[in-house]
Amino acid sequence: MKQLTDLVTPFATIAADKQLAGDDLAWLKKLRLQALDQFNRAGLPAKKQEDWKYTSLWALSQQDFIHQANPSDISAAQCDQVALLQDSYRVVIIDGVYSAEHSQLTGLQTGLTISPLSSGLDQVQSYIGQQVDIEKAGLNALNTLLMNEGVVITVDSDTQVLTPIEILVINTGSTNNLAIHLRNIIVLADHSQLTVIEHYIGLAESTSFTNVVSEVVLKENAELNHYKLQQESSNATHIATLAAKQAANSLWRSSNISLGAKLARNDVHTQLLGEQAHVVMDGLYLADSEQHVDFHTRIDHAVPNTSSEELFKGVLNDNSHAVFNGKVIVHKHAQKTDANQQNHNLLLSRGCEIDSKPEMEIYADDVKCAHGSTVGQINEDQLFFLRARGLDEASARNLLTHAFAVDVLDRIPAEQIRNAFSKVIEQHLPHGGS
Amino acid sequence: MLEIKNLHASIDGKEILRGINLTVNAGEVHAIMGPNGSGKSTLSNIIAGRDGYDITQGEVIYKGDNLLDMPAEVRAQRGVFLAFQYPVEIPGVSNIYLLKAALNAVRKYQGLDDLDAIDFLTLVRSKLELVQMDEQFLHRGVNEGFSGGEKKRNEILQMALLEPSLAILDETDSGLDIDALKVVSEGVNALRSPERSIVMITHYQRLLDYIVPDYVHVLSNGQIVKSGDKELAKELEAKGYSWIHDTAEGQPI
Ligand SMILES: Nc1ncnc2c1ncn2[C@@H]1O[C@H](COP(=O)(O)OP(=O)(O)OP(=O)(O)O)[C@@H](O)[C@H]1O
Ligand SMILES: [Mg+2]
Repeated sequence: MKQLTDLVTPFATIAADKQLAGDDLAWLKKLRLQALDQFNRAGLPAKKQEDWKYTSLWALSQQDFIHQANPSDISAAQCDQVALLQDSYRVVIIDGVYSAEHSQLTGLQTGLTISPLSSGLDQVQSYIGQQVDIEKAGLNALNTLLMNEGVVITVDSDTQVLTPIEILVINTGSTNNLAIHLRNIIVLADHSQLTVIEHYIGLAESTSFTNVVSEVVLKENAELNHYKLQQESSNATHIATLAAKQAANSLWRSSNISLGAKLARNDVHTQLLGEQAHVVMDGLYLADSEQHVDFHTRIDHAVPNTSSEELFKGVLNDNSHAVFNGKVIVHKHAQKTDANQQNHNLLLSRGCEIDSKPEMEIYADDVKCAHGSTVGQINEDQLFFLRARGLDEASARNLLTHAFAVDVLDRIPAEQIRNAFSKVIEQHLPHGGS
Repeated sequence: MLEIKNLHASIDGKEILRGINLTVNAGEVHAIMGPNGSGKSTLSNIIAGRDGYDITQGEVIYKGDNLLDMPAEVRAQRGVFLAFQYPVEIPGVSNIYLLKAALNAVRKYQGLDDLDAIDFLTLVRSKLELVQMDEQFLHRGVNEGFSGGEKKRNEILQMALLEPSLAILDETDSGLDIDALKVVSEGVNALRSPERSIVMITHYQRLLDYIVPDYVHVLSNGQIVKSGDKELAKELEAKGYSWIHDTAEGQPI
């Protein structure tokens, strides 16, 4: 059995009964029907599928998810408190519903549009579903079937947006077993520049399911700094696909930080389709207790003279389990590809487990490709040195763990964002903030 | 200050220290010399509190308390400082962060508040000047990419800032050029006071021209086999360790 088809949640019925965003759009109706058909056939992936070998969705398939949130609200102060950035544009989605009240979208620079998916769908017909293949993944089909909110961002050519945008997705926990299906679309025209943060946060220990697909289009010479911070509650399942297409000379810097959720699965994918396109694909996962975190990344070097740098780091404690599967595909004519992939893991307990698998498929002959994968523990010499300088053992371990983790942040150009992430990570470490 | 009595220590069943006796009073400077592998760094590590040694016999008393019962950090907070023979690199932890954390740990033990940012920086700058280090070293990772000599200076910088009661310098002079040796020696001499004690481990008599010790000991095969004053170091330099073995083997002093 390669699929889980016996699902407790009647997703198809829910999709048929629910009033969904863009119901009046014929093209979308058609797309949703295709998705339904595909989802009925594919179901959810089971462990027999190579890409899901280490991650089981069995528990998810056995849960009964609700698609209608109880009314809930949070105060403006609470919203500010959980946001990563204070001086930014902000799009707030609470329990799956766009909140105009908490969003900060006034004074948008010309050339920039930001709209919630629920009211921005008519603009995105040509982009939706371009990056993700519903034929291949049941989860993407499910997302297409039920996507009901998200953010659509477009940047006109020659527009440099200096103010970052935070997409703040809050799960208040007031609806237990809430499932939300989000679709974000980010399109940068030629010579434009943007910084976006996708931020997912759970405020209470409820059970929940977030299924998000973000599609990114970078036209020639576009530059996108794209960060993601996942802090869902410890009973959440977070499944995300982040997929980009990059034209010539474009630059995509992606940093993906996974801290929360009981089960988190991220598929990050880019296709380098124009010469001199460059991607920085970084990530950091910190897991403890029984957490399970899975990153599957894929970089397609499709044409000559493209480059990629990938650095993923993980810190595992207790009985947590992490999976890193990094695929780099250098296509036949993609000569002069320069690809570097690194995955480094720090294990803090005996009970934790990492499955790290770099996969380089190289079909061109004149390329520079390197990869490395390590698994290690706290360095005893460093630990003794710090203790011999008066730091107690817990602080010293914390400091070394933080030092191991934060160099993933080094490639984030904006100091404000780097520092904000660094602080979040410090507070999340096993021994708490120091 | 420090009293080591009949200290025996082994690693994985192999005895490294075989009955060390050493008393260091407040205000004194002791030099320990001895062949490679004789146990000098092992002794330093045990005093500083490194785990992994079996102490099979003996005791170490520091300011009247049993040192061996204390975790390494408590020893540091109470004024024991080890300048490492091979200072470790810690990428990702800035030097200034380390200095601040170390100083605050000592101050906390002394019942003092953390220094505020300005006072801290003023203090650190004065210590940088003492060891003639550029301020840019504060913002690099601890010892990260430092040259051998720079690492040793960095150890002395930490010592100068923390003002320990008992400083153990494990071959701090090794790998230093002549100018650096002078600077480091000045740093150590600046610390000398009637309340502080210094134990220097060295292979070179040259260091003792700059920091004149009250006592010189020879550690060989896990025991102190000879003690004397600074003349002993000169004799060793001229005659080598075999001279001790020929005259004093098996007769700890
Ligand atoms: N972790 C260990 N495992 C096994 N043997 C060890 C260990 N640490 C030290 N030793 C051994 O203990 C002995 C003493 O080592 P130590 O480092 O104390 O010598 P030393 O006097 O400082 O030498 P040097 O002058 O070369 O620095 C050596 O034979 C060394 O190999
Ligand atoms: Mg040594």
